[in-house]
Amino acid sequence: MTESALLSDDWPEFPPLDLTVRDLALSRGEVRLCEALELDLSSGDAVFLVGANGAGKTTLLRAIAGFVRPDAGEIDCGGHAEDTVSWLGHSDGLKPNETLRQALRFWCRQSGQSSKAIMPVLKMLEIGHLIDRPAGRLSRGQQRRAGMARVALANRPIWLLDEPAGPLDGDGRACLARLVAWHRGRGGMVVAATHQTLDWPSAKTLELGR
Amino acid sequence: MSALVSLFSREARLAWAGGGGAAGPTAFFLACITLGPLAIGPEDATLRAIAPGLMAIAALLSVLQAAERLFTEDVADGTLELYALIPASLPLIALVKVLGQAAATLWALPLIGTLGAMMYGLDPAQALITGLALLVAIPALSLIAGFAGALSAGVKRGGLLISLIAIPLMVPVLVFAAGAGRAALDGEMDRAVATLLLTCAVSLGTMALTPFGIAAAMRARLG
Repeated sequence: MTESALLSDDWPEFPPLDLTVRDLALSRGEVRLCEALELDLSSGDAVFLVGANGAGKTTLLRAIAGFVRPDAGEIDCGGHAEDTVSWLGHSDGLKPNETLRQALRFWCRQSGQSSKAIMPVLKMLEIGHLIDRPAGRLSRGQQRRAGMARVALANRPIWLLDEPAGPLDGDGRACLARLVAWHRGRGGMVVAATHQTLDWPSAKTLELGR
Repeated sequence: MSALVSLFSREARLAWAGGGGAAGPTAFFLACITLGPLAIGPEDATLRAIAPGLMAIAALLSVLQAAERLFTEDVADGTLELYALIPASLPLIALVKVLGQAAATLWALPLIGTLGAMMYGLDPAQALITGLALLVAIPALSLIAGFAGALSAGVKRGGLLISLIAIPLMVPVLVFAAGAGRAALDGEMDRAVATLLLTCAVSLGTMALTPFGIAAAMRARLG
């Protein structure tokens, strides 16, 4: 399965979009995590958020998604977060008794994506044979891949990924890199918090410090 | 619109498959109404007199018993974040979610309530009013329980918090739902129907207001 197989009518290119973060200040409880943070991304970009545990990588992702209100500064993701953002958090958002087919059909319906698009994405992540298995009976790595499939099927330009490669093996990381490359190729952008070195071409790095 | 329909059916399906569907609340309801006569005594007149009230209390407790699961799992497995990013308003999502779960888990209560009221000695018309009162009270009861469940999601001993928050708010529904059956028992059908309509009104009011509270609790949980 190659990237070109996904470039069908279900996957038109995204209109040009910018994600800008200006003079951002974030805190968790009483602890100030960052100040005067700036970030500029446009279509096709990817950025790694790196930093020690507790540096605020997840909080920054949550602020971009609109879950956390920043102390100061502005975040512009080109419209409402509901229309532009696709989210992968610490957990994959799967229900143990639901099969991947049921879950992904539901998420396709929520995002207006055709459910015909499910199988190619699963094949690209090499979990096509697991489509009728309940999520509770998948391994951690397989669940992560299923979470990535949901992110792709949401069909939104901005992907916010929190440790996307955490439980993935070498093969899974290669699948993830292919999926990200395909997404950037159609004009999407990716913000990923990670501790691992991921091989994504021309990705920027933003270091968050205490 | 079709997105909300699919949310409703997903929530109903998850409640059905994951939580044993209607089994939990139904068993609880049955236990209440079968243990009642054993504790209170077998006199026909007494049982007839307490039937509408006992059915309403049993329904209230069954709804509460299922409330803790409603949002705790969504917080733990990351579904809450994903629901917040669905392009529909969060109060609407909360309303559809709670009613979807209620439809899957509580549908049996009005039926058993009607049959139970007949076994307590009410005639069919009176029993039907009692069952209908449960049916129209259930949306209000489950939304109030959902509000308490959303506020206490992920909190240790959330069950205690749910009882403390939900029970005072459920008092008007309980009074009207039991009142409809009691009026029917007194032979005052006009007053019974009026009380039934008042129960409807409370339910509709709850459907209009609590989703905003549930959505605010969900947002607070995200932040």
